[in-house]
Amino acid sequence: MKYLFKPFEKISKNNRLLIIFFWVVIVLAFWFISSMGERHLFPSPQQVLTGFTELYSEGLVVHIGSSLLLCIKAILIAVVISLIVTYLATIPILTPIARTLSKLRYLPLTGISFYLAIIISDARTMQVWVLVVFMSTYLTTSLLSMVSAISQEEFDHARSLQCSRWEVLWEVVVKGRIDHVIEVIRQNLAIVWMMLVTVESILVAAGGLGFLIKNSDKFMNHGRIIALQIVILLVGLSIDFILDYLRKAFFRYSKI
Amino acid sequence: MNYSTHNTLLYVENLSVAYGDKTVIKDINFVEKDVIRENNVTGQVVAVVGRSGRGKSTLFRAMTGLIKPTTGKILIADTTTGIENDAKEVQEGDIGFVDQKYTLFRNKTVYQALQFALRKKDISKEEKHNTIMTYLADWGLEKAKDQYPCELSGGQRQRTAVIEQILCSGHYMVLDEPFSGLDVGNIEDVKKAFNLITSSHEFNTIIYSTHDIELAVELADSIYVIGYPTIDGKRKEYGTIVKHVDMKELDLAWKDFGLDHIEVVKQIKATMLNS
Repeated sequence: MKYLFKPFEKISKNNRLLIIFFWVVIVLAFWFISSMGERHLFPSPQQVLTGFTELYSEGLVVHIGSSLLLCIKAILIAVVISLIVTYLATIPILTPIARTLSKLRYLPLTGISFYLAIIISDARTMQVWVLVVFMSTYLTTSLLSMVSAISQEEFDHARSLQCSRWEVLWEVVVKGRIDHVIEVIRQNLAIVWMMLVTVESILVAAGGLGFLIKNSDKFMNHGRIIALQIVILLVGLSIDFILDYLRKAFFRYSKI
Repeated sequence: MNYSTHNTLLYVENLSVAYGDKTVIKDINFVEKDVIRENNVTGQVVAVVGRSGRGKSTLFRAMTGLIKPTTGKILIADTTTGIENDAKEVQEGDIGFVDQKYTLFRNKTVYQALQFALRKKDISKEEKHNTIMTYLADWGLEKAKDQYPCELSGGQRQRTAVIEQILCSGHYMVLDEPFSGLDVGNIEDVKKAFNLITSSHEFNTIIYSTHDIELAVELADSIYVIGYPTIDGKRKEYGTIVKHVDMKELDLAWKDFGLDHIEVVKQIKATMLNS
């Protein structure tokens, strides 16, 4: 038992599972105990279960679908924009565009929404573009790091094989790093998923998980709020798992 | 051992490379000619030795056209024109370059990598396939044909990197510290690779750097020592050729390592320590 408390100690798979199980039990016990009595911070498991049932009967699945659709739309547009900007950043005259886009991640969401609201009238389109602008800045930052992490040896290797500079870009950066792009999307997804719910709750347009949270929040329905948080967490983790699985399945050489 | 030299294969004149104010290498001059031995296909094996930071890698990058020299020129034999002793200035891709990490395309299998190396050759798809399969068989890589670099052993990576360059670049190949970090078995593999390359064409020329002076003396027929020169009693802060050992002239080339070789090793080490 002592070794479980020693830093950097290697443990078996079974022991790892046991530790996870132990912590899950601790969390659940804490939840049960802290939700007993009249005054409590968290809703009881029973309240959360009721929250789930209510949400389901109010079309939770449709709302998840709506959020996922919004997420996919925004991700696709943002990835295309970020990839184009990042690949073109290897051309000296265009480098400042990517660098600037990356720096824009410090802009507040409210400011972005204000200007987008002037240009876009449709609320759903507005949601998509708020997310696209927001995501593009983070994705571009990560993609620029990805490119700068490519070793000089890889570029030299391609050049020694008589690749033109455009071929080097295509072979080493574009084709050679597709798996990294998936990983970058996966890593940025958590921020995007979090933002998506916020954007949906600010601009109530076509439902979605954010809309449900806002409604539950309005009526101080704690059971529903926690139930929704669990749903949001699970959907986010599922997307994360799927992307990781796809990367490993399609790119055998990918050992990130 | 009888030999003669013919066409100039590599001509480096007054080469210098500077990054801003910092001169890395300067006044590099050397010539390597085609070595002819009777009844023997003999390529050239040139070793470049020197202490760390003396500019060996910079010299190699300049020789392979990966960086532009600040001054001077590097000429190689142009074998495509059919004119004897025709020369051309070296361009990116003319001289194959294998770095010490044996870098390969991480997303291409061995077969795909070799296919890519042959992409500019004007031969049919079938001929390309046959060429690749012959090389894979000769170099013991048949089983690794469909493996990615991350699935290859160090020796397999190294052989793939060398074949890639042979298929793409022709007669010249620069290897930056090919023996670095290899075990005894892998070193023997590299030696075999050298033999395969030099025995397959008269013009084939291997230029490699190493910190293992014994291996340089054992394998090379021409050795250049790069170091900081001492001019008018002052040590300069740029690399240049401080010694050239022609193993052919010493009658030590293509022979088993012996006492005479050890003497050369001592001389080279002494030169390195003083530069």
